[in-house]
Amino acid sequence: MKLAIVTPRYGAQVIGGAETAARMLAERLACRPGWEVEVLTSCALDHLTWENVEGEGTSSLNGVTVRRFATSNPRVLEYFELDGRIRVAPAAASLATSRRWVALNGPMCPGLVDAVAGTDADVVAFYPYLFATTVDGLTVCPAPTVLHPAAHDEPALYLRAFRQSFSGTDGLVYHTRAERRLVEGVFPVGAQPQIVLGLGVDEPTSPRRDGAEVLGLSGRPYLCYLGRVDEHKGCGMLAEFFARYKERRPSDLALALVGPLSGPPPDHPDIVATGTVAEPDKWDVLRGATAMVSPSAYESFSLVVLEAWTVGVPVVVNGTCAATMEHCRRSGGGLWFDTYASFEAVVDRLVSDGRLARTLAEAGARYTDTYYRWPALIGRYAGFIEQIASRGPKARLRPPRLASIEGGIAYVREQ
Amino acid sequence: MTSTPTNGETTRSASAADQPADQPADAAAYLAGVMVEIDAEVARRRASGELPPALERELDELFLEFSPLGARGSARLRETLALVDGAAYVDTAVPVASQKAAGAYVKRGIQKATGWYMNYVVHQVTRFSWSVSRMLHVLVDHVEDLEQAVDGLRPPDVDLSVVPVAAPSGTWWASLVVEALTGIRGRVVHGDCGDGSLVEALVAAGVDAYGLDPHDDAAEAVAIRGLDARGGRLLDHLEAVPEEALAAVVASGSVQWLSPSERDRFVVLAASRLAVGGILCLHSASPIGWERSCPPVVADLAPGRPLHPETWEHLGARHGLRLRAVHQGGAAERIVVGEGVPSSDALDALISVVNDRLLAPGEYLLVAERVQ
Repeated sequence: MKLAIVTPRYGAQVIGGAETAARMLAERLACRPGWEVEVLTSCALDHLTWENVEGEGTSSLNGVTVRRFATSNPRVLEYFELDGRIRVAPAAASLATSRRWVALNGPMCPGLVDAVAGTDADVVAFYPYLFATTVDGLTVCPAPTVLHPAAHDEPALYLRAFRQSFSGTDGLVYHTRAERRLVEGVFPVGAQPQIVLGLGVDEPTSPRRDGAEVLGLSGRPYLCYLGRVDEHKGCGMLAEFFARYKERRPSDLALALVGPLSGPPPDHPDIVATGTVAEPDKWDVLRGATAMVSPSAYESFSLVVLEAWTVGVPVVVNGTCAATMEHCRRSGGGLWFDTYASFEAVVDRLVSDGRLARTLAEAGARYTDTYYRWPALIGRYAGFIEQIASRGPKARLRPPRLASIEGGIAYVREQ
Repeated sequence: MTSTPTNGETTRSASAADQPADQPADAAAYLAGVMVEIDAEVARRRASGELPPALERELDELFLEFSPLGARGSARLRETLALVDGAAYVDTAVPVASQKAAGAYVKRGIQKATGWYMNYVVHQVTRFSWSVSRMLHVLVDHVEDLEQAVDGLRPPDVDLSVVPVAAPSGTWWASLVVEALTGIRGRVVHGDCGDGSLVEALVAAGVDAYGLDPHDDAAEAVAIRGLDARGGRLLDHLEAVPEEALAAVVASGSVQWLSPSERDRFVVLAASRLAVGGILCLHSASPIGWERSCPPVVADLAPGRPLHPETWEHLGARHGLRLRAVHQGGAAERIVVGEGVPSSDALDALISVVNDRLLAPGEYLLVAERVQ
């Protein structure tokens, strides 16, 4: 079985939920006897610029063949103008406008799309729905296709340009039940073969140091956030909530923001922003936390929630995020907040009640062990891919490939 | 229950956290209990004035800025309205502070020089935005009144915990469904698939079948066996299927107790989602058999009651579904006159009528085809 995975960025240094998920699946499938996995991706590593960093050509990474293709344009400022305009009523944007948005969002990778058109893979998987590589690749792919949408409730999901991507694919793989419900509420994809798969959790590295020591907090208790430190991930809101919390509840509790920084870190004596840390340090920080907070409303899976449970740490999630709420409700392993008042009450409770924290973490760990361990997940995914291959590609409408990015720029300027 | 003294330290008396959960199902219930306590604590803090409203408003607006619209259900109207109210006032007092010494004087000068003009324009903008805001308040009040009225009329859903997970294998009608659908080309959905045994049998017969079940965990167990099965109600699922995308719909279980309006919706959706030539297989208890076969709590709480097959035929005919067959089946009970009791033709005839009318097989499988 030969599987090709199309993703806009790929590599160990790429931090991104969907891209990391694609790499995890690719590497584990490549280990299965009789399976060959090839990744088609761009030379870019930064989704904000799409600047070509890696060289074009074929390489190998952990048993996976990686074929890189240059992006034809870096991201341009016009994208942000158009994005701001359609964000208010995305469903009302015309097909042409939404296709221009996709082209401007990029990455525009003509070589990659040509490679998809000439693929000899049995199945081609696209990951995630949001990018031009997926929209164009699905249009030209001659083999059966599987789309991993990694969708959350964001304005772009409602753009008409994606309708063909969803209805034209031969199979869908969701991260959570909530993602499936969301997508089915937007696109008529109910009859398509599909599974809710999720991602597996790796075994944590052995403890090396105390988490507070890694953070330079010398024995202080702390909440931690793991992932890209970004306004859109709710980090600014979390920092503000935490600062107010500390004004109202003076204590030695700290907040650690662990992950690459998208902007200047919050300026507060009790908030530590580490930037990117080594994997063993990440696990040590997580292991020592009073709780792991996931403030983002826009997650399609959130692996860090499961990782926290794996090392016995309870989680606090954003009550408007369907994916993390699903994890908490199904497992009984985490609390949530949807106002400052509930944030304060939840943190009060977790800080003061060690037994509650332990009980939550244990429930989360049971849930993770039951549903999100790699061997079982990979077996299910492989079975699904084999089914899709055996069904063959369905007849698809073939919309034209996206117009070049220059067309999009001209359009925005015209407006 | 939790209580928080004025120093903000939380103390607990007997609470959900005193009964830690060992099993996954208990864990969910335990968590629900903890969240109820947290909500109660939030309400107590608000009532006691411990949470300044201005602080809450400021931080909650920040929270909403990073939340998807509509993610908070019915509360979203009021919250979004609060955002409108907050933005309705246009402030003409432009900040004049500056890092340069002369900057503040220049800014203040510009502010004073343009003040008469800005105030005139802003006054009209503000009047307009406040009028819009007032109108939205009236609309939201109306919508909430309507929601309340509709909620009062709507029959409550049957709690899934009282509905047993179906196990169609070995039932009298499962083999008839397989027989009716063998050789059909295209996707076939089975609503209320339960343990997935009928889906499995259909797949084994070469049918491209998938299942749905309102019990999410039951559906997940089927999916883990490698079948295409998802959690959800057939009725909602059909909304997410394009027109003419299905070769067959197999409806069982909860289709029997849909409310009248949902039943109408089901017929319309099933007919439109079937391709021409597609098959609808509908298994139901008969109105008489319902009392015998349905779990008592479901029977009592169900928003609707089973229909006669003739009624389904009538409803389907309006939407291009033509009856192919009605198969009767299910457990039958018979009154039998015991040995030694003197036989009487008249009595036997009466017993036979009772047997046929009341104790005959209480289920049917209706098979219909979309013809137009």
